[in-house]
Amino acid sequence: MCVAYPGTVIAVRPAEHKATVDFSGTTVDALTGVSDIKEGDRVLVHAGCVIRVLQEQEADELTELFKELEEAIRS
Amino acid sequence: MTESFIKMAHGSGGQSTSELIAGIFAKYFHNEYLDAMGDAAVVPGSGRIAMTTDSFVVTPYFYPGGDIGRLCICGTVNDLLMSGAVPKYLTFGCILEEGMPTDALEKIVQSAAQTAAEAGIQIVAGDTKVIENSGHPEGGIIINTAGVGFVPEGRSVGADQIREGDAVIISGTLGEHHAAILGKRMGLENTIQSDNAPLGEMTSALFAAGVRVRAMRDVTRGGLGTVMHEFASESGKTIILEEKALPVRRDVRDFCGILGLDPLYMGNEGKMAVVVDPADTEKALEAIRGSRYGQDAAVIGEVAAAENMPEGRLLLRTPVGGLRVLGPLYGEGLPRIC
Amino acid sequence: MSALTLERIREELASYDGAPLRIMEVCGTHTASIVKNGIPSLLSDKIRLISGPGCPVCVTVTAYIDRLTELALTEGTAVCAFGDLLRVRGSSMSLADAKARGGRVHMVYSPAQMLDLAEADPQRTYVFAAVGFETTIPVYAILIQEAERRGIRNVKLLTSLKTMPQVIGWLMDSGAKIDGFIAPGHVCAVAGYEDYITAAAKYGVPFVVSGFEGPQLLATIYALVKMQGRGEVRNLYPGVVEKEGSPESRQLTAEFFEPCDAAWRGMGIIPGSGMRLKDEFAQYDAGSEGLTEDRMATGCQCAHVLTGEITPEQCPLFGKVCTPQDPHGACMVSQEGSCFNHFVARGI
Repeated sequence: MCVAYPGTVIAVRPAEHKATVDFSGTTVDALTGVSDIKEGDRVLVHAGCVIRVLQEQEADELTELFKELEEAIRS
Repeated sequence: MTESFIKMAHGSGGQSTSELIAGIFAKYFHNEYLDAMGDAAVVPGSGRIAMTTDSFVVTPYFYPGGDIGRLCICGTVNDLLMSGAVPKYLTFGCILEEGMPTDALEKIVQSAAQTAAEAGIQIVAGDTKVIENSGHPEGGIIINTAGVGFVPEGRSVGADQIREGDAVIISGTLGEHHAAILGKRMGLENTIQSDNAPLGEMTSALFAAGVRVRAMRDVTRGGLGTVMHEFASESGKTIILEEKALPVRRDVRDFCGILGLDPLYMGNEGKMAVVVDPADTEKALEAIRGSRYGQDAAVIGEVAAAENMPEGRLLLRTPVGGLRVLGPLYGEGLPRIC
Repeated sequence: MSALTLERIREELASYDGAPLRIMEVCGTHTASIVKNGIPSLLSDKIRLISGPGCPVCVTVTAYIDRLTELALTEGTAVCAFGDLLRVRGSSMSLADAKARGGRVHMVYSPAQMLDLAEADPQRTYVFAAVGFETTIPVYAILIQEAERRGIRNVKLLTSLKTMPQVIGWLMDSGAKIDGFIAPGHVCAVAGYEDYITAAAKYGVPFVVSGFEGPQLLATIYALVKMQGRGEVRNLYPGVVEKEGSPESRQLTAEFFEPCDAAWRGMGIIPGSGMRLKDEFAQYDAGSEGLTEDRMATGCQCAHVLTGEITPEQCPLFGKVCTPQDPHGACMVSQEGSCFNHFVARGI
């Protein structure tokens, strides 16, 4: 369920509720389910619709993940 | 050609058919055997003959990076090559739907002629029929090709030759053809081009370098996963692929990502998987990389000697170290969205 | 305690020798990703992963598919659907079968594509096979919003929309023995995870919100192992998921849809586990009410597989008459289905 994939916003057309999202060369004219969206944003797209603007990625994702994990399992 | 669209009369066998042949086919296809215009082409050759036939339908018939004309030559030439043969002769049968623009047909025929020249195969017989339009405004085209080649003495390749310890090589990146066609069909714009290509230079280089080739198969519909699954089940050996080693272009990977598809099951039309003697791995890689369409070749796995492995299985070692069993492609490989 | 590494997590998960654990992932994309990464091969025999009812294709009842195929074969109507729904069989045929018999079926990537098709062909009614969970429901809300804005009148939805917390509650109330849940990352991105905090406390089991990459899933399973017996929720997908989800998407859903009872394949009607179009948008409904009949193939155990009561191998149809080539139950149809994945991996 719910295949969602990150891409980069390359154009925004607020009047049409659309944004063009690039996935390394494949571009999708996505509907936007979120309003606060601008060029250059990393977004999560599901079924041709932007469902989420992603936060800045940490430089070392894995280290960050394990830090979260250590906090999570601490009772 | 005076007509701009294909009509039923073009298949009548009469004057309109002659015009079509003279105006398009004869313009691009000619050699001493075809030009004789006999009921059958009489060609020289002897020894072990390889024969194959394939029919081609593709929507759309022009797609990024190629067209059905190039595709039908590549498909048949590559099938001959994979049996160890040197491709020589080809027949070209066309079923056209009325309404097809004649300039589209001309482009397809021209593309087929160029690809045949590149692949070093001669088109020695042809046929054309016309059927009623099935509702597609641009008409359609179905091409059937039969190919003949000769297998040099002493050469024997096939899944039955695969042995434990052999190395598995892929000649390039996965999934471009499928991604290019599917993108077009699903209205997703992308820059991905079909990889349709004849692989003769590559196979010649392998044999010229003295590589002990066990088996080769071109990666077409069903993708690498399906081809390797065939190798495993036909040879009864367990094959282990390394996911990290699989060459996939970033754009194809992302295209697959948005549609929930797996590049392992995305078809190519210009790539082959080769199983070679492990001692010849480097030599094989060098030969393929030095050939046209082979620059991204990579060693992707091996035929396992491991104990406790069920025979005839295809396994994939994943980047997190897991082991996954791969089946063939089931169904059509439909996108999975929600 | 030394810092956690992927290596150490793998070692601990492989050598785990505590109480046997049953961990359920309720999102089909998690199921697919677990298989893709070969995660089961990395876990001790004491940790069993169970695929729950989170593949919308797998939980669709036959009456819904029957209605879709009927629409596809109706003059002046076309059905648009996501890819793998095409192969699911209703009581007599699938959408792919209907297409082969001359029905109009379009495979699309996005509901937005249906708007363009409908606008270009105003004489025909375009019906979207609107299946999905919380993540996809706002997409259908936007579809209607856009149809209204663009004045496109010939679009409708046939809805079979489901929500996760209710079916998880139903599973636990029915006595499913689950020791931890991998909470659905993209559902939570939209709907948040407040509902799971309630569920975790009520049933005394941990929930961990997870991403979809191999290391993320291993981290989640590791967390669930460490958290056993604790009725708490942790979010290990923080770059994407926030506790309250996406308020805008939730508001969109609430504007067009309202909760309803929903029929789940093999499980019957679960109160409040679905979403339907509000009455004021009834003109967009293609007849979704009352599609509850569920004619499963005789012997099909999809329901018990989906609840984790039995493994696919324990179903009498598995691998014999029901195969990926000729799937009888929905769990064999989808690449996200438990039966499909067990079939491919059988013997290992």
